[in-house]
Amino acid sequence: MIEYYKKPFSRDESLGSLNFYIRDWFEKRYRNPTPPQLYSFKLIREKRNLLITAPTGSGKTFSAFMAILSDLMDIAEAGKLEDKIYCVYISPLRALNNDIYRNLNEPLDEIYKKLGGSVKRISVAIRTGDTPQAERQRMLRKPPNILVTTPESLAILLNAQKFSENLKSVRYVVIDEIHELANNKRGVHLSLSLERLADLVGSDFTRVGLGATLHPLETAAGFLVGYGDDGKERDCYIIDATWDKKMDYQTMCPVSDIVNASDDKIDESIYKTLNSIIKKNRTTLIFTNTRSGTERVVYNLMKRFKYGEEHVAAHHGSLSRESRLDVEEMLKRGKLKCVVSSTSLELGIDIGSIDDVVQLGSPKSVTRAIQRIGRSGHRFSDVAKGEIVAINRDDLVECAVMLDSAKKRKLDSFTIPRNALDVLAQHIVGMALMKKWKIDDAFALVRRAYSYHALDKKDFMMLIEYLSGSYVGLESRRVYAKIWYDANEGAIGRRGRLTRLIYFLNIGTIPDEVSVNVYGEKNKWIGSIQEEFLSRLKPGDIFVLGGRLYRFDHSREMKAFVTRADTKIPTIPPWFSEQLPLTYELALEIGRFRHDLADAIGKELRETKGITALLKNRKFTGGKTTQEMLDAMPMDKNTKSSIISYFAEQLLFAKHVPNDKLILIEKTNDEKGERNYLVFHSLYGRRLNDALSRLFAIEASDLFETDVGMMINDNGFVLVTDSSLKISKEDISRLVANVASSDATRIIRANVRRTEMMKRRFRHAAVRSFMVLRNYKGRQISVKRQQINSELVMRAAEEISPDFPVLKETYREIMEDVMDLPRAKEILKKLKDGEIAYQIIETQVPSPFSHVMVTFGEADVVMMKDRRRHLRELHKHVMQQISKRYG
Amino acid sequence: MMRLTGDVELAEGLPLLYIKSLDTIVCSDLHLGYEGVMASRGSFVPKLNFRKIKEMMMKASKAFGAKTVIVVGDIKNEFADVHVEEFNEFREFIGFLRKELGIGRIILIKGNHDNFIDRFRQALGFEIFAQETLLGDYLFFHGEELPKGKGGKTLVMGHLHPAIAVYNKVGVKEKIKCFLYGQIDDGRNIVILPAMNYFAEGVDVNQEHLEKMAPIFDSMLDVDEMKALCLGEDEILDFGKVGKLRKLR
Repeated sequence: MIEYYKKPFSRDESLGSLNFYIRDWFEKRYRNPTPPQLYSFKLIREKRNLLITAPTGSGKTFSAFMAILSDLMDIAEAGKLEDKIYCVYISPLRALNNDIYRNLNEPLDEIYKKLGGSVKRISVAIRTGDTPQAERQRMLRKPPNILVTTPESLAILLNAQKFSENLKSVRYVVIDEIHELANNKRGVHLSLSLERLADLVGSDFTRVGLGATLHPLETAAGFLVGYGDDGKERDCYIIDATWDKKMDYQTMCPVSDIVNASDDKIDESIYKTLNSIIKKNRTTLIFTNTRSGTERVVYNLMKRFKYGEEHVAAHHGSLSRESRLDVEEMLKRGKLKCVVSSTSLELGIDIGSIDDVVQLGSPKSVTRAIQRIGRSGHRFSDVAKGEIVAINRDDLVECAVMLDSAKKRKLDSFTIPRNALDVLAQHIVGMALMKKWKIDDAFALVRRAYSYHALDKKDFMMLIEYLSGSYVGLESRRVYAKIWYDANEGAIGRRGRLTRLIYFLNIGTIPDEVSVNVYGEKNKWIGSIQEEFLSRLKPGDIFVLGGRLYRFDHSREMKAFVTRADTKIPTIPPWFSEQLPLTYELALEIGRFRHDLADAIGKELRETKGITALLKNRKFTGGKTTQEMLDAMPMDKNTKSSIISYFAEQLLFAKHVPNDKLILIEKTNDEKGERNYLVFHSLYGRRLNDALSRLFAIEASDLFETDVGMMINDNGFVLVTDSSLKISKEDISRLVANVASSDATRIIRANVRRTEMMKRRFRHAAVRSFMVLRNYKGRQISVKRQQINSELVMRAAEEISPDFPVLKETYREIMEDVMDLPRAKEILKKLKDGEIAYQIIETQVPSPFSHVMVTFGEADVVMMKDRRRHLRELHKHVMQQISKRYG
Repeated sequence: MMRLTGDVELAEGLPLLYIKSLDTIVCSDLHLGYEGVMASRGSFVPKLNFRKIKEMMMKASKAFGAKTVIVVGDIKNEFADVHVEEFNEFREFIGFLRKELGIGRIILIKGNHDNFIDRFRQALGFEIFAQETLLGDYLFFHGEELPKGKGGKTLVMGHLHPAIAVYNKVGVKEKIKCFLYGQIDDGRNIVILPAMNYFAEGVDVNQEHLEKMAPIFDSMLDVDEMKALCLGEDEILDFGKVGKLRKLR
């Protein structure tokens, strides 16, 4: 059973459970256990599975290791410590491995200095892709007692004929940064490795998961421990110390009038705000949502406030390993005043003490906001401080609700990819390489892993068929087959001289990240974009590159072809693929907030002189209900007044504020009258809107017999058509009815089939399934070559069967991991059943709530100036309309 | 069935043509052994090409009952050598044409991928010409070089793998293989065959720069003036001149 353990043990009970020497060291060093340690010392000593989530500074690492070291020390004292592996520690980050190595050796050094030579030393060693050959040889002869490694290296060790013998003695597995693994294929891969390890050991070991908070913790615990053969989840206690640390945070708006303030004024205010925070603290960590944003903030801080490189630094994934390590080192030594990061510092690398975490722009998830803010306040007793600085009104609402949810401990949930066939293919090959398996035994092992517990036997068998080369003639299997399979005997095993090599050289789940060259007319090279961004593009999409606008036409291999589009407005911002999508739960929460606040403000506008106040440019400050509602939420004064006028304007202009139960469909056009917009205010997050917008666009293009463009974001989507098209309200109702009753899965699948997304994601799946290799016989195969070949594989696979495993997995990944089709279908059902209503309105210019959406493509990191101008124009139009109507 | 000229016929949806006066089926760019070669380099493309080619030849043979087959180049895929997978499929293909379809005469115009194939000529029994040959009114040439012969009324070329790129209403691109038919600057007709190879989706003749792919477009032929005859599901669709398709989006 998985359950919370809510009653901590006493200090004496906790410390009393430790080995004498370990306790002695711990007490001298720390005196008292931290809250998570008051649970963990004793529980791990009792060999319980444990999931511990806690913010930075809670002694997470030692909460796991003090008990494990105690066990090993007991063994050592009894003279029974052998040269074998007792504990495996796995983290997603090599940098973290080095920290752990240091942190474990420090107490060991001190303890053994005292002990002299009488007791055998507990040994620790790191094994990653970086470990030199000589070191590996040494490790094989004399394995460490504690092995520190990564998920990928563990998978390789499991298949190392000799070394795997050393793993048979494992009693503990510690997984660090579990929140970075539980929601992706890397974690799925690890969960299978753990079951293979348990199979090798012959019994289960004690599993300890560590991480920042995530939700639901029960799912994370399930991911950690998996299922027993009785089909029930293995036992696990959850210790949630997230809320034991005090946090102080708020949403901030740098200027009092976000719509009318000048560009320079806004920029100036942002950096002034940042600088005042930086000055107040010893070290400040600033998160931006994109890498380019990171660079811009660093540049501005240096320019405006004369900071030097020794004060302010950037840290993101595009920087070299060395410069990142430099920055980390400077942080550890407390030298930097401020570090600016995109996401790279989210992980728990030891970066010394951070006093304040500032988030520039929305982090898009309550859980992530908490994880990030939790990086500040080095000691557990310190208050974690954080601010979110937002500069458009949608973001202000979003962040205000986000932090309010955090306060109420309402976290948004993560999802684990289920039944990923590509990752499974890798492990089946790995398993078959080691020994002969009865199909049923192999299947039972796989189903013990959380992500595969509901795996269909049919899918498993299709994978076996694929891997054994059943899709080619007998004479070719020698080349194609990766495993041996005997259907009569119901067994699989190794096959082919090269398979072993293929396995070792191609293992892993992270796709190669590459950039794609962009060419314009006459094959002129223009620049490059990330492949991930390309995979989001549809022909006709307009985006900015090198300060100019281009329309995407098509791609071939690793080239994208575009034409100049000078007069048009961009439809997709360059950071689209970098920006994380808004989580579904938070989106609903914002929807509910919209409903409640619109209710209050609507009444107050009618009852007071609110309208006049708004029109005469005197601030409408809202009535008592509004004030009370917003005062209870963590936000500053500017945020509050911006939100109030935002809602008031929307109500006066459009009469409706869309919410979680009301989708507003707004028929409008751009100010120039060149294009018609059909704005769907469906605040359900980008992943859902990705699916919804496609369904509506396909149906609209059929119904109205016209080309339909799309713009998608978290708050809704826009269908763009030619201005000559006339659509009535009845037409729109018909559109909604048709989509609501359509076979969404079938339509999306057909639509996805020829997209860039499909082409790219199929390659990832084909590479993970060893169908297209990255490295063959030691020769590196270029990503371009992989792409060309996987497109061929895809065509052939389609011909063989629509359920060909690699194909099936690609569709699953796109429909469930990239989009959120399952929930989009729920929304459609609710729309059909009337549980969610829709309202069609027609406006002369886009209503305030659609401004961010229709200018979405123009949005840059710290907002591009053009977009601000555009937003302001839209706002002016709206205010003119309102004053015409009421004035 | 569709007539391109009085003497040249196309069959429903097949990337090959029939010349009555020569009683010949003409096809191009088979790239046999393709998947095997790919697999030997670490991309395990399922085998389909050869099966599809046999099916198409079977259909063509039923429709026209020809006694001769001309392949206008690139019967196999590798430049450097003859891969074992290629040889197996190549040998099987020749045998298939003879035994199953009753083809008496097999003529191969060598393309850029057809090196080292001469050595099997006697053993397998086919005729082979380097780059081009004139038969009746027709000058067959592969196309990666300019045709040298001034004879014949119609040129038949392969090599290019022509196709038309079309976008559906939501902007998704589809490629359709096509024949290109037109005239070169000296007034002779020319027909360019689509690839037989299953995996060759084709080159978008309405989007790409063709002069880099086949020199004939550099000097003697304007693709905009050529008609695109596309392979539909069991039918040939006349898309009109390529120049007009270029403006379509």
